[in-house]
Amino acid sequence: MRNVVERVLNTLIYLLESPRPVTAEDIRRTVPGYSPDSDDAFHRMFERDKDLLRQLGIPLKLMPLDAWEVDYGYKVDPEEYAMKDPGLTTEERAALSLAASMVQVGGSHFGLDGLRKLGGAERGIAFEPFGADLGAEGDLLGAIFDAVVQRSSLEFSYRGTLRNINPYGVAFRRGHWYLVGGGQDGERIFRIDRIANVLAGDPGSFRRPAGFDPKAVLQAQPWETGADDAVEAVVVFDDDVAWWASRTIGVDYTNGVLEAKVPVSNRDAFIGWILSFGPSAEIVSPPELRAELISRVEAALSGVAK
Amino acid sequence: MTSQRTVARLSRILGLIPYVLANPGVGIDEVMERFGYTRDELTRDLNAVFVCGLPGYGPGDLMEAYIDEDEVVIDSADYFSRAPRLSPIEALGLLAAALAVSGAGQGTPALDSAIDKLSNVLLPEGEDALAVDLTATSDEVAGLRRAAAEHRVAHIVYRSLSREETTERDIEPWSVFSTLGNWYVTGHCRLVEDVRTFRVDRIRELTVEDETFQPPEEIPEPGVGYTPSDHDVRAEIELYPAAKWVLEYYPVELISETDESTTIRFSSTDAELPARLLLRLGPTAALIEGDEVAARVRELGASLKARYR
Repeated sequence: MRNVVERVLNTLIYLLESPRPVTAEDIRRTVPGYSPDSDDAFHRMFERDKDLLRQLGIPLKLMPLDAWEVDYGYKVDPEEYAMKDPGLTTEERAALSLAASMVQVGGSHFGLDGLRKLGGAERGIAFEPFGADLGAEGDLLGAIFDAVVQRSSLEFSYRGTLRNINPYGVAFRRGHWYLVGGGQDGERIFRIDRIANVLAGDPGSFRRPAGFDPKAVLQAQPWETGADDAVEAVVVFDDDVAWWASRTIGVDYTNGVLEAKVPVSNRDAFIGWILSFGPSAEIVSPPELRAELISRVEAALSGVAK
Repeated sequence: MTSQRTVARLSRILGLIPYVLANPGVGIDEVMERFGYTRDELTRDLNAVFVCGLPGYGPGDLMEAYIDEDEVVIDSADYFSRAPRLSPIEALGLLAAALAVSGAGQGTPALDSAIDKLSNVLLPEGEDALAVDLTATSDEVAGLRRAAAEHRVAHIVYRSLSREETTERDIEPWSVFSTLGNWYVTGHCRLVEDVRTFRVDRIRELTVEDETFQPPEEIPEPGVGYTPSDHDVRAEIELYPAAKWVLEYYPVELISETDESTTIRFSSTDAELPARLLLRLGPTAALIEGDEVAARVRELGASLKARYR
């Protein structure tokens, strides 16, 4: 098999340089490496190569060859292909190089890949004993971010329900990526790793509301973001864990037992958090949350009864 | 996946060409470092570029690409004089990395202005469509980062993640990193004379000592992997649909899966973590096998019931 890298580069040059859209047949006859004999083999190769171009983020367009729109050809507009130069200084590129080497997304350095289109990583970056992984599945996150940037509305299934959402922004918080979007029921937050079967609409299909700020998503604790009726719980933390709880909820603490008021709108997350302290924390009120915790403990106990 | 490797290779070539065109006479070492190339990989990619060009594909139509002494030469490639756009995941990866570092209190004026410039190009009208928060970074994160950078011993008062016990220990911090929504420090622990990873939010007190240590030559890539060992406590747990999220939060082994239930194997250094998980899951999970875990559920459950009486 001929080298696919060479074939794709030649096809790309042809598509960039040709003044008119070119048909698949033009490409087959012109670019070396495409199967001249079998139509099936050619179409398989060509589909694969088009897919590679799309994965590279290259805007491959299919357009009519004439006013009658009978025949269609492919084109890559050089202006759409090229990135606008952000005009980074050496210092700025060095800062980005360091950040991109420190932070991964789901185990991959996508930022460093991106930097290679901006002149590569600056040299002489010192080892930095500091890093982060913003865990995610790259393909899914990339597709959703693309829809945010292009303003394409999205259709996807979320925990078994089909949703139509205008994606306004994405945010990373406490180990997870979230999509914030608008739909029939107003603004909603979705956990991206629970989104499946994504279908993007045409670019520019909605306007983002003025004043939208994805950072607002980042403020809340897990037990503060949910659809349950909001209540204020009172919790007592013993002195061995109070210092730790006080840091989580951001209240002042010096020593001794901590009694704290905690707003709750996701009961499941709240009970999970309280149980992570074992018997060193107690829900004082409301009674229904106390009862919920006890019923879970009893259910677990009945499961391990001798 | 082969196609992913091909995409990565093409992407690097399309970044390399405009860089060399804009920097004639650039040295091979600089190119290798900037683009993460080995010499063989660079030679192979230049050889590929060398046989590509405009239709006709005669000598005058092809790009020039070769190594001359210690310089990388690329010519006759005007159509690639500008780099292609970043793919969505590259754009997000780069911006998110910059925002994460800046938000973690490690930003510099250069990083912040780079974020502004990139946002202008990558996000429509420079809008604020992306936010990253690595969870509250604390004085402890900053202190440990400094200790790791300066190779200083750190004294910590630590509350164990899985046991209800607090220990004091001296550690030699190698790296500080954020993953799964928490900050961790990895290094040599002098108490156990072995490599350990600690969750930073469980560090009650931190003192960075004057004493320095010699870090290992190769610091392992930071990450919170769970390394199974023979001393592990193992439990088999059946999860009903409402508890399926556990799969995403813990490094568990999937045994079987149907629409109604998912069976996992949970391995950990002691029974505490799976026992607390079972209490939290209540009626949405069942322990199938694991005597030690069952015993700990009974103990914890009894003390919780006593407290809530």
